[in-house]
Amino acid sequence: MKYAFFPGCTIADRLPFIEKSIRLVCPEYDIGLVGLPFTCCPEPNSVQSFSQYTWLTMAARNIAVAEEHDLDILTACAGCFESLAMAKHMLDTSADTRAHVNRALANIGREYTGQARVVHLLQVLHDDVGCKGIEERTLRQLRMRVVTHSGCHLLRPERVLQVDLAEAPAKLDALVRALGMESVDYMDKTMCCGAGIRGVNRDISFAVLREKFAGMSMVHPDAAVVFCPTCFISFEAGQRVVNRMFGTEYRLPVFYYTELLAVAMGLEGTESILSGHRVQGTEETVARAMGHGGTPAQAPMGTHGAREV
Amino acid sequence: MRPVIWDDDEERVSDVRQAAQPCFQCGVCAASCPVFRVAPEFNPRIAVDEIVQTGTVAVTGREWYCAYCLMCEQRCPMGVALCEILVAIKNLSARDGKVPPSIVEMMDVIRFTGKVSHPSKGTTRRRRELGLPELPEVDAAEVQKLLEVTGAIDRLTRYREAECEPQ
Amino acid sequence: MPENRIGVFLCHCGSNIAGVVDIQRVMEAIRALPDVILVEDYKYMCSKPGQQLLKDAIKKHNLTKIVIGSCSPRMHENTFRQALREAGHNPYLLEIANLREHDSWIHSDDPEAATEKAVDLVRMAVARARLLEPLEEPEVDIKKTSLVIGGGIAGISAALDLANAGFKVYLVEKEATIGGKMARHDKTFPTLDCASCILTPKMAEVGAHPNITLLTLADIEAVEGYVGNFKVTVRQKPRYVDTEKCTSCGDCAEVCPVDVPSEFDANLAYRRAIYIPFAQAVPSAYVLDMDNCLGVDAVRCGKCKTACEAGAIDYDDHERVLTLEVGTIIVATGFEVFDATQKPEYGYGEYPNVVNIMEIERMLSSAGPTGGHVVRPSDLKEPKRIVYIQCVGSRDERTNRYCSRICCMTSIKQARMLREKTGADIWLFYIDLRTFGKGYEEFYEATAEAGVTFVRGRVGEILQDDETKDLIVRGEDTLLGRPVVLEDIDLVVLATGMVPTASTSHVAHLLNLSLSPDGFLMEAHPKLRPVDSFNDGIFVAGTAQGPKDIPDTVAQAKAAAAGAMALMGKGRIKVEPYYSVVDEDKCAGCRVCISVCPYNAIFVNERGASEVNPALCKGCGTCTATCPSGAIRSQHYTDGQIAAMIHEYLSAQQ
Repeated sequence: MKYAFFPGCTIADRLPFIEKSIRLVCPEYDIGLVGLPFTCCPEPNSVQSFSQYTWLTMAARNIAVAEEHDLDILTACAGCFESLAMAKHMLDTSADTRAHVNRALANIGREYTGQARVVHLLQVLHDDVGCKGIEERTLRQLRMRVVTHSGCHLLRPERVLQVDLAEAPAKLDALVRALGMESVDYMDKTMCCGAGIRGVNRDISFAVLREKFAGMSMVHPDAAVVFCPTCFISFEAGQRVVNRMFGTEYRLPVFYYTELLAVAMGLEGTESILSGHRVQGTEETVARAMGHGGTPAQAPMGTHGAREV
Repeated sequence: MRPVIWDDDEERVSDVRQAAQPCFQCGVCAASCPVFRVAPEFNPRIAVDEIVQTGTVAVTGREWYCAYCLMCEQRCPMGVALCEILVAIKNLSARDGKVPPSIVEMMDVIRFTGKVSHPSKGTTRRRRELGLPELPEVDAAEVQKLLEVTGAIDRLTRYREAECEPQ
Repeated sequence: MPENRIGVFLCHCGSNIAGVVDIQRVMEAIRALPDVILVEDYKYMCSKPGQQLLKDAIKKHNLTKIVIGSCSPRMHENTFRQALREAGHNPYLLEIANLREHDSWIHSDDPEAATEKAVDLVRMAVARARLLEPLEEPEVDIKKTSLVIGGGIAGISAALDLANAGFKVYLVEKEATIGGKMARHDKTFPTLDCASCILTPKMAEVGAHPNITLLTLADIEAVEGYVGNFKVTVRQKPRYVDTEKCTSCGDCAEVCPVDVPSEFDANLAYRRAIYIPFAQAVPSAYVLDMDNCLGVDAVRCGKCKTACEAGAIDYDDHERVLTLEVGTIIVATGFEVFDATQKPEYGYGEYPNVVNIMEIERMLSSAGPTGGHVVRPSDLKEPKRIVYIQCVGSRDERTNRYCSRICCMTSIKQARMLREKTGADIWLFYIDLRTFGKGYEEFYEATAEAGVTFVRGRVGEILQDDETKDLIVRGEDTLLGRPVVLEDIDLVVLATGMVPTASTSHVAHLLNLSLSPDGFLMEAHPKLRPVDSFNDGIFVAGTAQGPKDIPDTVAQAKAAAAGAMALMGKGRIKVEPYYSVVDEDKCAGCRVCISVCPYNAIFVNERGASEVNPALCKGCGTCTATCPSGAIRSQHYTDGQIAAMIHEYLSAQQ
């Protein structure tokens, strides 16, 4: 299956090692990635709040670009998925809205027709490839206790997106288990990471993130697994800020799912991926999970509580 | 609820009011809101109540505290789309040039690059090191045009004017 | 065709119609119509003088057809028909134009258009009136026996009233005992009477009443016939225990090796495969649950039969199919408790210490699984900090939109009892407290005084500490606009609402009863016919019709019994002549009409033609519209009459 690949600004420009892992993994499952001149999705909270019309039209443009190539869009970011899927929902359920947006698009010689589907990588891996298919292709089991966080924008609004259960998401957990990891339930699993208001009010944003970390740390995981680059940055870079602001000592490695998938599949080049991470001990955590480096998985936030960065 | 497209504030407010009407103030939105938990001055329930009771949209600035996690809508027993209502409120204040500076910055970046982040020299180098393909070029003129015809440029101008006004 | 002499009477209905519709203008417009001999108006046509005006005019002007412009025919059609009868006129030569519900009430903002519409409505009524024919009302006999479906407090109350009035009653219950949900409750609000103390004497009375035949473990399978003459097929599952011989000694259960969660105890305790649901069950006899029995032959088990000294156990007992002939039917199929697993944010079914109000009822009952002590299911310890959450599965468009009405008072009652018994700290989260009944508000106030904290706000989520199984409850105090986080909560009680049972939709399907969108039975009129169904001779009672408390349930059951008695007391009733008639010369015997008739009113007669049973036919017209030969005619709603109305409407106004 070939898709118009929509890496999103955050992955492409700030987390290229995540893109690398996606590009390593996808061909293995015959998922073809085609690059097209996409703009920002655009970002679902700030841009939509600034001007919903602008947000909707830019999203429609991106979908129209994929339509011109007869391709469905594959997103790797929950935010991009939310923006494109919600815009598509609005455009597909109101002829009035579609006509209005198409009048704007006519200025750049494009048209939204509603042909292209919008999917997230989680759906392709879980629903199409399937956990069994994933498990069959792994070379090694990763022995790790992890907490998962699918990201608000993959889950809600549940009735429109229909990706997973919004109150009790299970797909990312199933994918994680397919790699041999244990997925631990934790308090506030469906809670937001706070990224949506980081620019508007930093203090509140990190206070939200602290709550999220409090819930995760209670179950002493080895790492957190996410499927959204914004949540990734929020957790990875954010935990240092939380530690500074609130005197906490969190040190939790964070992974985007396909990074661990690539490791479990034994693909070439995973070292370059992991070296991009900022939380100390990330590479060691993976090594331990692979059975290297002596003692089996030690919980960084675990039994002895959080350690210093 | 209809998206905020038509440039008629009165119609817009009455739309928002109608969308908020089923609310019976049970508070499950606030109880589920991660922001309210740490900053009770932002309360999605009261934002909605204000519209129903007064028929006007109070621009307090706090409406921008919504993290858009959509948990309130998920649990609302009356199916009120609270995040959508807050988006509509923010659109109305953005029309008057009342926008947090961080969002204006983001809009400026989009305006000139089509993206929310500048691809720096470092990024390009890292992408090359990782063996990633070059990103397809976005036609900046296309983006510029869309921002113009959808009113985003006007809003940015109004923001700048408001900024220059004596406080 | 005899000459038509039509009289038109326009009612002002005070200002209800005349305040919007210009009556004078309507009169002017109508006066010129062909065959209209007389046009009159009056302030209240339904009043005594109004009816007299009608009767006098019929005689004086020798009117043949009457048109009245007034409120809906559902209101006063019978009044005016009676007036026609009194004037010696056939009551079906009357046509009503609905100028109130269809016009003045809905177009009060546009009197001009309303007046035009009134003219159209009256013109159309006149057009139809020209073609009306006198009809005779057939009379049918009514059997003086009643069927009551459901043996909860509603069915019990209705059955006893009917039986005491001298009517025979069949009481059909699907469980092994009567008593329903009320039997599972501990105390009743607001008086704190013990539920079983007031219920079990009634149950015993039913069991012993000479006029009541009790059929437990039984279900309705088919219903034929019509008001006064229903034929009901009942399938009764085998009990494997002879109710006459069983002494309820319990020796059988003693030796039974099988433990099964007890439904009666909300699955909080175990029962045996042979069991009695509760001590005061009626019939007072054990029942063998064959699905869970190890096997009835002596090799595999057979212990209970050996133990039974009375020789009451019969492994060869079999299913019975009975046919009952009854004149009236009362449906009292009750409710189910909302399944709280549909609200995953509250963790019911996942967190052991989140329970529902029915489970607390069983725990509070001294005859219940915990001997009257409320405990945390995780460790059986007494809870010190308890949270109640209202409206779980009610007032929620994701589950049920309606208010379940009883949960506020049930929770308040439980909170009061728990507070008084254990001194626990109790918080009760509500949206609105609905304490509408006699003495309810006072009970609530006393509960607040007893120290139960009432917090206005719906709880967002419940979280569990997996080690201690303690709970964290997050909500908003909406009166203060402040977050509320309660930690170390021992027990959360969800005030689960009422939902319709599967039996209700099953019985509704068999009896052709309508359901409202929420799945409860629909009454014929919410105010004036609250216990009648749309089908003559069938009544609804209790929570099958909608959520209600015990007083309302009993009141409705007694009303349903009175309705059934009113019919059966007369012995014969007239039915409306709105049935369809088949022209046998045109009927080709294709039987399409039989397949479309929703009331099973059509059969093939000995001549091979379709024939309509007037008592069953509701005059819906489906067969008339479907018949490919045009052989069926709906009396009083003939094609000609309807076509005339349409033609009149479409023809240009003068």
